Amino acid sequence: MSNAFMSNSNRARVQKFGSLIVLVIILVIVAFAAPNLLRWQALNTLLLDNAPLMLVIVGLTIPILIGCLDLSVAALASFAAICGAMLSPSLGSFGGVLVVLGAAGIGGLQGYLIGRLQIPSFVMTLSALGIFKGLSLFLTSANMVGIKPGMALYDGLAGRTAGIANTVIVVLLVAAILQFVLRFTTLGRNFYAFGSSELATYASGVRRDLVRSIAFAISAACAALAGLMLISQTMFANATIADGMLLPALVGVVVGGTAISGGVGSVFSSLIGAIIAILIRVGVTLSGFPPSSQDVAFGMVILIAVALTTDRAKIGIVK
Amino acid sequence: MTTALSLAGISKRFGDVLALDDVSVDLKEGEVLGLIGQNGSGKSTLMKIMAGLHRPDSGQISIGSRIVQLRSPLDAARAGIGLVHQEQSLIGSLTVAENLFLDKQSDFARFGLYRWSPMRDEAKRQLAKVELDVDPFTPLGELSFAKRQMVELAKVLTLEELVNGHLVILFDEPTSVLNPPDIQGLFAQIRRIKHRSSVVFVSHRMDEILDISDRVLVMSDGRNVAEREKDRVDVDELYELMVGKQRMDRVKRRPRDAHLSDRKVLEVANMSVPGEVSNVSLSMAAGEILGLIGVHGSGADAVLRTIFGMADKWAGAIQFEGKPLKVDSPAAAVAKGIGYLPSERKTEGMVRNTSVAENAAIAFGWQYGSRLGLVSRQRERGVIESWVAKLQIRTPSIDHQIDLLSGGNQQKVVLTKWLLGNSMKLLMLDHPTRGLDPGARSDLFAAVRELADKGLSILLVGDTLDEVLSLSDEILVMKDGEITASFSDVQASPPSEEELVRAMV
Repeated sequence: MSNAFMSNSNRARVQKFGSLIVLVIILVIVAFAAPNLLRWQALNTLLLDNAPLMLVIVGLTIPILIGCLDLSVAALASFAAICGAMLSPSLGSFGGVLVVLGAAGIGGLQGYLIGRLQIPSFVMTLSALGIFKGLSLFLTSANMVGIKPGMALYDGLAGRTAGIANTVIVVLLVAAILQFVLRFTTLGRNFYAFGSSELATYASGVRRDLVRSIAFAISAACAALAGLMLISQTMFANATIADGMLLPALVGVVVGGTAISGGVGSVFSSLIGAIIAILIRVGVTLSGFPPSSQDVAFGMVILIAVALTTDRAKIGIVK
Repeated sequence: MTTALSLAGISKRFGDVLALDDVSVDLKEGEVLGLIGQNGSGKSTLMKIMAGLHRPDSGQISIGSRIVQLRSPLDAARAGIGLVHQEQSLIGSLTVAENLFLDKQSDFARFGLYRWSPMRDEAKRQLAKVELDVDPFTPLGELSFAKRQMVELAKVLTLEELVNGHLVILFDEPTSVLNPPDIQGLFAQIRRIKHRSSVVFVSHRMDEILDISDRVLVMSDGRNVAEREKDRVDVDELYELMVGKQRMDRVKRRPRDAHLSDRKVLEVANMSVPGEVSNVSLSMAAGEILGLIGVHGSGADAVLRTIFGMADKWAGAIQFEGKPLKVDSPAAAVAKGIGYLPSERKTEGMVRNTSVAENAAIAFGWQYGSRLGLVSRQRERGVIESWVAKLQIRTPSIDHQIDLLSGGNQQKVVLTKWLLGNSMKLLMLDHPTRGLDPGARSDLFAAVRELADKGLSILLVGDTLDEVLSLSDEILVMKDGEITASFSDVQASPPSEEELVRAMV
C-alpha cells in the first residue's frame, strides 16, 4: 500500500527536519506577536512550569519508539504525586525514591503483560489509566493531600542552580542519559530494531519481552518523577493533578518526529517537540482563546503530525 | 465429451520469474483433471488464472466457443467457475447460511432486513447437494475443518442456480489438512457432482491424484509437460517429468570432501509438532550439511522453527552438544550458538528501514562491545565490512538502508548476522535461496560450504532438488510431517532426483 500523502523519502525528510522547521516558524510568530515571551525571565518561568510535562514526553518517547503506545503516563503521574505526598510524613524523601522505583516496576509489568497476554499496548495502558485514576480517587477520597514541608527531595526539586530551575536540569539530565542509551548501548539498538521490525528482532535472538518491559519501565519512572516535580511546585496533590498531560505529551513525541509506528525518532527530537507543545499551549492562551481550547489545538496537531509521518506500508490495515 | 473450459497459450510473469510459460489445457465436461507438480511448478498460478484472481499476460480462455475475460473472481463466478480455497475463505463468526449467501444476501432481504426462514430453507437445499446435515444457523466456527470444506464446496455449487449450466470447480490442495476418512468423504462428493460439473484438482500427493482423476496433467517449471489418461499413467514417468530443470549437473559437479567428526552436535528424537511434524528423528555431526526437502506443508520448516524455540507446542527430545536442549524462545537458542535464516526474509529476516550494519549486528553486535552493554560500532564495522567483502554483498556502504538492496544481497546481510557470532555451532537455513537469482544462489552455496568446512553444522531446508543434492552430506525427505526417505553419503553417491520426488509426493 502506498502512502496516502507522500513518498518514503519525503516522509523521512519531514521526520528529520519537520519539527525544527515548525519550531522556527512558531518562534518567529511568537517574536512578532509576543516578544516579551522570548526574554530570559519569561522563558525560564515557562520551562519551570512545564518541566514535568517535558519529562513525561522524554519518557514516553521510548515506548513509542518501539512501536507501542503508553496512555497511562498522565494518570500514573497523578497517582505517583498522591503516593509521594501521602508517604512524605512517614518516609520523607525516601518515599519519593520508592514511588519512582515502584512506578518503574509497574511499567515493567505492563510491558511484560502486553507480550504475555498478547494484548495491544493501547488496551493495556488504557486499562492501567483507569486503574491509576480510580486508585488515586480512592486513596484521596477526591480531596487534596498536602506534603509535609521541609523534605530534602521536594525542596531540592523546587530550587534553582545557577539561575536555572532544578527540575529543568533533571529533565535535561534524564534526556541526556536516555539519548546515550539509545545511541551507544545494545539496549538502545534493540529499541530501534524492535520498533522497525518486531518479528525480525525476535528471530534474531533478542529477548523481546525484556526489551518491551524496560521501555515501559522507563516511561513509567519518568512519569512518576514528573508527578513528584508537580508536588514540589504545588506542595499538594490531588487525583487529577497531572490529568491534562496526556494529550500534550503525545503531541510532543509525535511532533518531535518519533514515528507512531516505531523505529524512528530520538529523545532530543522529543525535547524539540516538547518545546513546540509548550509554545502551542501558551500561544492558545495568549491569542485570547479560553484555556479549554488547548485540547482542540493538541488534538488537531496530533492528527496532522501522525498523518504526515506514519509509514502506512508497514501497517497494511488500519483499525 | 465436449470441452467445458479451454486455456490456450497462457503465460504469466511475476517480476523475474516466468510462472507460466505457454500453457494450454482443455477441460472436458464431467471430467476430473488432476494437476500435479512440485513447489513453484506453476499449478497454483494456473488455478488462480482460472479463478479470475490473476490475469494472464498472454493467451486466451474460452468457455464453449466463447472467448472470455476473467478479470475478477466475480467474472469467473458468472462464467460458472468456482474455487474451493486451500485456506478456507469462509468467515467463522457468521452462520453457515450467512456464509453460503454472503455475496447474494439481497435475495433474502426486504427493506434491508433479513428474512430468516426463506434463507434457512434455501441453505438446507444447498447443503443437501453435498450431503451435509447441519443446522444452517450454526456458527461456522463450530464445525470441523472437513465440514467447513463441505460448506465451501456447497457455496461454490450455489453457482448452479446463477449460471443455469455446467460448472467448473477448482480444488486448490483441498486435502492438505484432512485426515484419510475425510479425504474419502471429499472424494465421494467430487464423484457425485461430476455428472454436472468439471473438476480441476491440485495436490502434492501422487496417490490422491491417481485415485480421483480421470486425467493427469504434470506441470514443471511453468510448463504443461505431460497429459495422461488415467489408465495409461506410468508413475515412474510422472516422477521423472516432475523433476524438470531441477537436475544436478552430475558431470561438472565437484563433491565436497567433508571430514565429518563422530562428535554429534544435534540429535533430535521423536519430534512431533501438532498438525505439522510427527515423530521426526535426526542427528548431525559437527561440520555436516544435512538437507531436508519436501513439498509445501511437509513440516521440514517446522522442524527448524521448533529447534529455534519458535514452536508453541511440541513433543520429543533434542540433544545439543550432548546435553538436553530446552528452548522456549529464539533468544535461548541463540545463546546456545544456534542461528536461523527464516524463509520469510522481509518479515522475519531483515529489520526493515535500518542499515546493513545494524542488521548485521542485531544478534551478536554485543560481543564486540563492552561488558556494560555499550556498543562499539568501530569494532563491529571492521568485522561486518570483511564479511560484506567476502560474501560479495553489493552495497554502497554498510550504512546503506537494507531495503534498497536486491533480494540476494539482503539475504546475504541476514546471513552475516549469524556469521558475526564467535560461538556459533549450528546454522539452520530455511529456503535460503527463495527468490534469488542464479548468481546470488551460487555465492550463497559457496559460503555455506566454506562454513561447514570450518566446522559449523548446517541444517538446510532446500527449495529445489539440485540445491540439496549438491550441498548436502545427508538428505532426509519429508512428506506430511514424516520422514519418508533418507540418503546418507550424498556427496560420494548422490541419489537420483526421481528417488527424492517419489518420497516427496
